[in-house]
Amino acid sequence: METLDYDVAIVGTGLAGLRTAIEILRKDKGRLGVKVAVISKIYLMRSHSVSAEGGTSAVLYPEEGDSFELMAWDTIKGSDFLADQDAVWRFVHLATQEIRLIERWGVPWNRREDGRIEQRWFGGLSFPRATYAQDKTGFFEMRALYDTLLKYDNWDRFDENFVTSVVIENGQFKGFTAIDLRTGNFRYFRAKAGVIATGGAGQLYRITSMAASSTGDGYGIAYNAGLPLKDMEFVQFHPTGLVPRGLLITEAARGEGAYLINKDGERFMKRYAPSKMELAPRDIVSRAIMKEIMEGRGIYDEHSGLYHVWLDMRHLGKERIEEKLPFIREIGLKYLGIDIVDQPLPIRPTVHYNMGGIHTDIDGKVLMANGTPVRGLWAAGEAACVSIHGANRLGSNGTNDCLVYGYIVGNDVYNYIERERPQYPDQPRTALSAEEDRIFGRILGRESGGEDVYQLRNELKDTMERYVHVYRTGSELEKAVVKIKELKERYKNIRLTDRSRTFNYNLQHALELGFMLDIAHVIAQGALLRTESRGAHARLDYPNRDDEHWLKHTIALRSDGEPSFSYIPVRITMWKPVARVY
Amino acid sequence: MKVRIRRFDGQKEWWQDYEVEAKPFTTILDILNYIRENLDHTLAYRHSCQMGSCGSCGVVINGKPALACQTRVGELKTDTLRIEPLYNYRVIRDLVVDLTDFVNKHRSVKPWMIRKNPQELEEAPSEFKVTPQQNLTFIQFDYCIMCGVCLAACPTVAIDPLFIGPQALAQAYRYIADPRDEGFEERIDVLDDSHGVWRCHFAGACSYVCPKGVDPAKAIQYLKKEILKFRLLRKRKKAVPPAEIVQKEPPPNAPKPPPFDFKFEGGVE
Amino acid sequence: MVEENKRYKAGILRSLWPHGFNIERYTYTLHRITGVILALYLIAHVFEIFHVALGPAAWQQTLQELGSLGIFEKIGLWIIAGSALYHGANGLRLILNEAFGMLLGKPVLPEYPYMPTSLSRSQKIAIYILTAIVVILWIWAGLYLLEGLGIV
Repeated sequence: METLDYDVAIVGTGLAGLRTAIEILRKDKGRLGVKVAVISKIYLMRSHSVSAEGGTSAVLYPEEGDSFELMAWDTIKGSDFLADQDAVWRFVHLATQEIRLIERWGVPWNRREDGRIEQRWFGGLSFPRATYAQDKTGFFEMRALYDTLLKYDNWDRFDENFVTSVVIENGQFKGFTAIDLRTGNFRYFRAKAGVIATGGAGQLYRITSMAASSTGDGYGIAYNAGLPLKDMEFVQFHPTGLVPRGLLITEAARGEGAYLINKDGERFMKRYAPSKMELAPRDIVSRAIMKEIMEGRGIYDEHSGLYHVWLDMRHLGKERIEEKLPFIREIGLKYLGIDIVDQPLPIRPTVHYNMGGIHTDIDGKVLMANGTPVRGLWAAGEAACVSIHGANRLGSNGTNDCLVYGYIVGNDVYNYIERERPQYPDQPRTALSAEEDRIFGRILGRESGGEDVYQLRNELKDTMERYVHVYRTGSELEKAVVKIKELKERYKNIRLTDRSRTFNYNLQHALELGFMLDIAHVIAQGALLRTESRGAHARLDYPNRDDEHWLKHTIALRSDGEPSFSYIPVRITMWKPVARVY
Repeated sequence: MKVRIRRFDGQKEWWQDYEVEAKPFTTILDILNYIRENLDHTLAYRHSCQMGSCGSCGVVINGKPALACQTRVGELKTDTLRIEPLYNYRVIRDLVVDLTDFVNKHRSVKPWMIRKNPQELEEAPSEFKVTPQQNLTFIQFDYCIMCGVCLAACPTVAIDPLFIGPQALAQAYRYIADPRDEGFEERIDVLDDSHGVWRCHFAGACSYVCPKGVDPAKAIQYLKKEILKFRLLRKRKKAVPPAEIVQKEPPPNAPKPPPFDFKFEGGVE
Repeated sequence: MVEENKRYKAGILRSLWPHGFNIERYTYTLHRITGVILALYLIAHVFEIFHVALGPAAWQQTLQELGSLGIFEKIGLWIIAGSALYHGANGLRLILNEAFGMLLGKPVLPEYPYMPTSLSRSQKIAIYILTAIVVILWIWAGLYLLEGLGIV
């Protein structure tokens, strides 16, 4: 075992992780010499933030009619009133500065003729405030942040280090354990402060817009360490995923004016959201599409056996598409041979985002079950649940959540180190040897048993796809829970074919599967318990929102292998819940 | 279809054959995934986003370096696939190559925004004013996803491991061409070197294989021109200043924000 | 900074083997090979000129030998002439590219399917024209040499 000492260890190198690292380093400027370890299970710049497409919301030009109140209201209404309103209020005010800051670091935002930043419409907004750089916004933001991070010296990159657990003892963060995939060595990152920014868990589903690396490891390691997960049953389905694999077709397509059309050639959104039409929030559009398909107005695709509807952009014209949506055109041509200039795209809802995550407070500090923060541990981005997004995230609020919380957490981590001057924790020997034994003894070294990692993974994906989808019912969720429990039992029996220590992806996938099974269990069980429909959680047997009983956050804790649930209140400081009509 | 994959386990190398079914729109990555999940769990390769924007899955397909996730079987017009790890890199296992040099080379050209007054990068009360036309001068080179495919195609990298390489040089030009950047003089020492731009002989293979249309060869030739201009004529473009801050009252017809001072209690445990 | 490239340290063969790539890479290969030929010729040339230093008799003999070349020597000369022609013409194109930024196209918004403008039509036309000129001149040089042999 190798022990590496750092002041701060950041797991995950998407927008949130990179922004946190930059904030710490640029606040420090060599004053304290804070050393940062940036840990990723893939290479830096390969994180799935690069696939964010549409835009980043911020109030840039209040003189044109936008306001912080309006953005906060949009966010809270979009969240179906499950968002913590004090957090949203803080968030909308910090987003503006982030947009301008990363502009100075190199993001090529689309511009107006006079050189100012252009913004466009997005679902659920009441003002066009999605700031964008073509339809590769996340990619250009990642480029700017990665390049800026390269400027600083006092950090080390740990590419392809798979973090397996977070060590917490008596409410004190003590570091991360990881496997160096390249050598297969077991590593212990001993750090004074840790940040989890590992993103979401889209790989639980078969049709997902998320990368193969988005397996929810951050949720898994926190959950295994006895930390609570919040609101995990809210899984966002993006309405427009390309059939068959669910590749993301950005909401900006609809922001630019694309139509959703069913089998009969009808713009069906007029029946579901008469005033906003296609630009309703994602949960509403996803439900509308699924409803159309369930009622037989979808189109059948022979190759994949899936039903879909059309996304029509023919009326936009080639020039506008090339300027504002070039990547969508590329995806259509590349994967289906369809040119969106003269043909519509087949789309259906695809898993896109986890509103839930590691339970944190408004500063991004990870909270324990009793509501007090863990000393020295933060979470940011999609891995965390503050909660800004409540039951449904608005399109274009994801990237700025990462940026804003990267900034807040980076700031907070630095203040913690500067003010409290924490010492390196002592090495938790028993925890480390137990973890080492779990990985190399019980998983890699296992000789008996015959379950196959990929077989289990596919069964899990099919279960989630079938039973825990856009529309859920009690009986189906029960089936899902039973099946997941069975898979968890079988998981104890897996056997790896690959025994190598160098780039053993078989081992990595087995460890990821362990996390995925836990998260799936939390999602399915939490969804079963929440007997209402709110935001992304839509129950056919309980079709209405129930503010009297369910205006509260779900908290899931690991107890004896199974999740146990409790609930905490939503912080409502500004707006009372009202009916959500678009 | 028949798939031949170049394997390497740390000691020995061999070709391994697999038989898979493929349709014209099946990507090479689909085939690799299928092999790993169903035929051979020990096959090691990198992949992540599956849509050609993360740059993990660069491999050599039938002799041409490309991204596995955006190469379709149909466009290859062959019924045998030959998949190798990227050329000009050290192979670690199977299709996984060592990218350490690659990222170090990228970092060596200082690919970040440099201003004469560094404070302008620390606080941002307003943005830099860049017109859409000025955006066009560098945005093409900002498309780079750092997959490293261009270095595998470059004939110069094959004989000079110290050559900075098309990716890093194109990134240097991306910032030099950016109207907001003022760091030309800081970068020139690395670029104006026998392992820098002058090692490039314009074979154009980097542009030919680039999966995102970055055209590194164009960037490098422009870089040479800029360096010559600077060395011979001492000429440099001027960077744009940050925009002035305008603070106006909202126009009278702006939508009114919803009520704000409401305090809500109850309804929760 | 650079670790030793042990495997797939491609070397000269990978560098010069252009198969499956763009036409510019073929011109690159040809440019390098002709460059090496010219370098070798230059050494031989210097060696010949060196005979001047050995006195008039040695120089006369050298000139005499050069005046009565056999068929293989003539073919050698012909290849050297071709190398000089190609290397010169392609070199001019590269100077236009590298020092003046010509034939490259302006930075654009890439449009799928991506066609790099630096390898686009003007570049290709330049290559075809220079190849045509080189071939014509080379044939002419061949005829000139054959005339010296008394064949034509």
